[in-house]
Amino acid sequence: MERKNIVFLINEFNNHGGAQRVASILTEEFMRDGHNVSILSVNQQKKAPSYFSKEVPVTLIHKDDYRPPAAIELSSNLKQGKLIKVSKEVNRRYRLQKQRADVKKFFEAFGDEEVFVIAIQVYGMQWMQPVLYQKNIKVIGQSHESVAAARSSQRYKRILSHYRQVSKFLLLTQKDEEHFKEAGFKNTGVMYNPSPFRHLTPPEILYNHKKIVSSGRLVAGKGFDVLIESFASVAEKIPGWTLHIYGEGPAEDSLQSLIRIFDLEERVFLEGQTEDIEASLREASFFVLSSKAEGLPMSLIEAQSCGLPCVSTDCAPGIREILTEYEDSLIAPVGDIHLLGRHIKRLAEDPELFYSYSRNAYENSLKFDKKVIKQQWYKLFEELGGRRDGQ
Amino acid sequence: MVNEQKTVRRPKLSVVVIAFNNELYIEEALQSLQEQTYTDFEVVVVNDFSSDRTGELIDRFVEGKANFTAIHLPENSGGCSTPRNTGIANSTGEYVMFLDGDDWYTVSACEKMVEAIERTGSDFVAGQVIRTNNYEIWYHKQLYSIERINLNIREFMGMLFDSLSVNKIYKRSFLDAHHLRFPEGIHYEDIVFTGKAYFLAESFSIIPEPVYYWRVVENSDVKSITNRRFEFENFQNRIIAHRYFDQFLKESGASLYQKEKNNKFLRHDLKLYTNDYLLFDEDYKEKFHVLIHDYLHETMDEYAFLNLAEKDRILYYLLYIGDRDAFDDWIAYTNGLETKTYRIHNVGSQYYFSASIAGNHKFLKMQRPEIAYRISDVQLDEKQFSFHASVNVYSIDPGTVTSFWMLRNRQTGVTLVSEQSGDGTYTFHVKNMTEGNYYLSLYVNHMGNLHKVLAKGSEIADLPNIEVKTDSLSKSIYINEKNSFSIRVQPVKSVDQVKWKLKQRRKTQEAKKTQNTESAFQKWAKRWIPKLPVRSNWVLFESHMGKQYSDSPKYIYEQLLETGRNYKYIWSFQEPGAVELPGPAIKVKRNSLKHLYYLNRAKFWVDNQGMAHLAEKKDQQVYIQTWHGTPLKRMGYDQKKQPSIQELTRLKKQTDAWDYLVSPNSYTSRVLKRGFRYGGEILETGYPRNDILISQPPEIKEKARMSLGISEEKHVVLFAPTFRDWDPDSFQRVLDDVQYLSKELHGDQVLVLRLHYLLSDKISQFELPPNIVDASNYQDIQELYLLADLLITDYSSVMFDYALLKRPILLYCYDLDEYITRRGMYFDFAENAPGPVCETMDELLEYFRHPEKLAAFEGALDRFVKEFGSLEDGKASAKVIDSVFGKK
Repeated sequence: MERKNIVFLINEFNNHGGAQRVASILTEEFMRDGHNVSILSVNQQKKAPSYFSKEVPVTLIHKDDYRPPAAIELSSNLKQGKLIKVSKEVNRRYRLQKQRADVKKFFEAFGDEEVFVIAIQVYGMQWMQPVLYQKNIKVIGQSHESVAAARSSQRYKRILSHYRQVSKFLLLTQKDEEHFKEAGFKNTGVMYNPSPFRHLTPPEILYNHKKIVSSGRLVAGKGFDVLIESFASVAEKIPGWTLHIYGEGPAEDSLQSLIRIFDLEERVFLEGQTEDIEASLREASFFVLSSKAEGLPMSLIEAQSCGLPCVSTDCAPGIREILTEYEDSLIAPVGDIHLLGRHIKRLAEDPELFYSYSRNAYENSLKFDKKVIKQQWYKLFEELGGRRDGQ
Repeated sequence: MVNEQKTVRRPKLSVVVIAFNNELYIEEALQSLQEQTYTDFEVVVVNDFSSDRTGELIDRFVEGKANFTAIHLPENSGGCSTPRNTGIANSTGEYVMFLDGDDWYTVSACEKMVEAIERTGSDFVAGQVIRTNNYEIWYHKQLYSIERINLNIREFMGMLFDSLSVNKIYKRSFLDAHHLRFPEGIHYEDIVFTGKAYFLAESFSIIPEPVYYWRVVENSDVKSITNRRFEFENFQNRIIAHRYFDQFLKESGASLYQKEKNNKFLRHDLKLYTNDYLLFDEDYKEKFHVLIHDYLHETMDEYAFLNLAEKDRILYYLLYIGDRDAFDDWIAYTNGLETKTYRIHNVGSQYYFSASIAGNHKFLKMQRPEIAYRISDVQLDEKQFSFHASVNVYSIDPGTVTSFWMLRNRQTGVTLVSEQSGDGTYTFHVKNMTEGNYYLSLYVNHMGNLHKVLAKGSEIADLPNIEVKTDSLSKSIYINEKNSFSIRVQPVKSVDQVKWKLKQRRKTQEAKKTQNTESAFQKWAKRWIPKLPVRSNWVLFESHMGKQYSDSPKYIYEQLLETGRNYKYIWSFQEPGAVELPGPAIKVKRNSLKHLYYLNRAKFWVDNQGMAHLAEKKDQQVYIQTWHGTPLKRMGYDQKKQPSIQELTRLKKQTDAWDYLVSPNSYTSRVLKRGFRYGGEILETGYPRNDILISQPPEIKEKARMSLGISEEKHVVLFAPTFRDWDPDSFQRVLDDVQYLSKELHGDQVLVLRLHYLLSDKISQFELPPNIVDASNYQDIQELYLLADLLITDYSSVMFDYALLKRPILLYCYDLDEYITRRGMYFDFAENAPGPVCETMDELLEYFRHPEKLAAFEGALDRFVKEFGSLEDGKASAKVIDSVFGKK
């Protein structure tokens, strides 16, 4: 295969969300095949390590750590004499224009060569506007969350205004794609997130760990409070089982106090950020996802790839694309502490059920294998490269 | 079979759980009961002879739990009724609730339901249901948003839409007193059970609390082919249940409420099946039509459909009249498929779906026909924007449909119309585009009805991202956030972009300003100007609200000039710069301060329409109302449609101000006097504007010819249709007619088109054939009469003037009946017309091709002139001036 130019467009390349994770896995895979991969990042976190290897060149759009404010209307604010707000908005607009030119220049460096831009997050697309009309540049936009989750923010609006003319708009699930097709998008497709690893451990060994795991940023949206309460509601009935939550974030203190309230210091552990999630999963029994909203959660894919049965809230169409209820997992409504607790108890109490779910989980995770996903990306590049816009 | 009764004391509540092949879910259902916050209840689990592990799981679960009992039926009952009734019979609680083996209760369901029924004393209480396909509360907004206590169904009929039995708690005494049980041997038992419960209950209550999770398993196999056979029985079963319920209503004297029950049946039950109709096989469809035809006729008449949405109204009406062919076509039509025959027809602008058998078409009314289009091969360069398009108007004969595309700049309002080549390619000349977004629309003309469709990005195949840049402007293909397609024209330099935005902004600001803000000076001036004295030698003229220099005011003015009087003349125009005016008159902009100044100071007002609302007329001022034509349609108080009070007040303000009304004939004097309730002086002199039709000065004819660029030897046909303000599609109709006529013209003929001034801007945007000359912007139509050898008009007063020339007139009145119905006329038009009245284009063309046939109408023309034009002697202007300004 000829050497391809691939650019990832990311909000903050050194943040630690699912999107960065996906981009880093793909970057590694693409580079291994000899492609020219680089990153265009809107901003960066101060002094934070990134998932990406040092060899990947990173170009920043805001080199001075500028954080644009939310867009506002000028005239009404001007009339009210809100000069500071107005000057900020003028600055934002000025910089957007200027940086669009910078972005254009960035792509000019590629000359006439074909470039595939993968906009991992929605926000960055506003800088791509002038590049859309360049025939050698194929812009692929992604949205790493469900429609419902996007709707709760500005991102949905941004998709409607910036994603209609990109070469491809990739959703995580069929259902999300269906939604945008109905909204008149003709450029949609579905692309799953790749799992960085896949490892089979015999179900009996997993079960004997008697460890329940979960992971994610410690924020309200992940519902760890619900998880801890669910576990508390059945803890006495499943002695010997422990719950381990990986990740860090602002909710850490309140979660810790919740653990104390239920007297579960010996049973529930906030483990902090882990460098090696694969190792943690291989030492666990099953995984619980208690989120309120998601896209196609990496954590479930990774757990499944290690043969872990899962218990999850029914928080996005993506959940049921990963999990098959009563075959490799149990699903409960969002926030339903009681049913989530009963599911945890059921998996912990029934080894036969556990074994069969575990075996199915590993089997079903094949569709997320990074080799499989990588081939789908190459197929997409072929498809887009073959199309010469406007000719 | 039945386990021994375990509880001695009677519990408050009995929960009846039924299960059939629920091995995946039954444990969850039972666990949800075991973990209830409420404890004073018993559970009876009835296993309907499951063939999977359900029975075994139930037994394992109830073992050792004192308040759980399992009952295993010896054979499958085939429904929910027998198991539920068995559960009722084998339980003793004061209250009863039901749970299905694949669903579950919320943790406090029983506690809340018992509390509610004890508190309210209702016969039963209903709680919220959550469906697991979307986790929304079922009928939340309509029924379950607030607490409703002790209602009777007759005061809250909407509740019929909730026909579930499982989300409710019942008093056992209520069930027993009415022998209310689930009907065995039928499916859809809930329709009957719950329906009866509503009508039997003295009162029921609703609590806005989630109690019941309804598991909805989304399974794509459900609609598979193998299920179709089964599905008809399914439909049959539903009808059986409804008949059962209908019977109950009749017997219990509640027939009054059949209507509401029908409403729910149509909006909910029947819809489920018609939605799936395309998936049914032929055998199913046949049976379906027979059964539903019978059922509809048993329970309702066609008026049950009248208030339903269009789609359902037509659908059900066709089922009702048993028109299978039309029904199949309607289903196809609403699914965007081709119909077997052309089904859609119109009467004027009202559309109908055609049934195959006789029916009442009021049930088949449609808003508008469905229009589909596909665009491909989009190309854009500096000069041209082109694409290939196919248009499909479903179920309408394509031969009756024409279409064109239009680009409209939303910022400036400028429009461009497409040129079409034979192969379906449409081209726009885009070289002169200015800044703004040009949105693309499709216009479809069907029998004079014009339908507009905004082009969407999703209907374009292989949409290319094209940008074309010139020195200053860039044009690019742009799809907005609402998926609308446009060509975006932007300045290339960002400085220019800012300038353009500011300019646009200023424009909108200005528009706002003129609407509602005026300066202090203006306010001051408006207060003081009316106090200025009237100047006795100032004369203010206006014609058609300042749109033209024309009509009788023009001829009075010119006559005054000729007689050399010592007056100061003022003319008001909407666009003073656009009008050429002979003589010393001052031009003022209508509605400006200057105009107000002259309105207040000029002694004489000469006008043909109305200006009394612009300034308070003073006693010493004199208003000469020339009016603008012999009336044919009914005016003022005589109008067909009773005018509103506001309208009459406005009219009175005008007519009160008139001092003289100029009339061309005694007929007009009579009609206007009555129609306008005008009691002032009438100058029955003939129309000043018609003076030149008597004198026929050759230099005027020459001037008109030159100005329109028509050579001398040409035979001129003047086409002057009236403005049909009630019909938005009439403009398109004119365009079509002109195209027809264009083809009929001989080489030495030319057609001069004269439209109402409101349409003059619109017509000027269309490219017309070379033998058509648009004279809609020509200031004075009287001058065109001199040029014309033949007149085609309809109901316009044009005919009264033109007849004076004694040249032939063709009346093209395709909507005569409609016009008479809407506007009404003062005399029998067909009888008294000055020429042949043609109701179709073919009829018109007949006279057009054989002008010798017109000779037969010479008598009619003579009579017409005698009746309406006998006063015209070419001296009307002088007579008016003598009467008003005095003889010189």
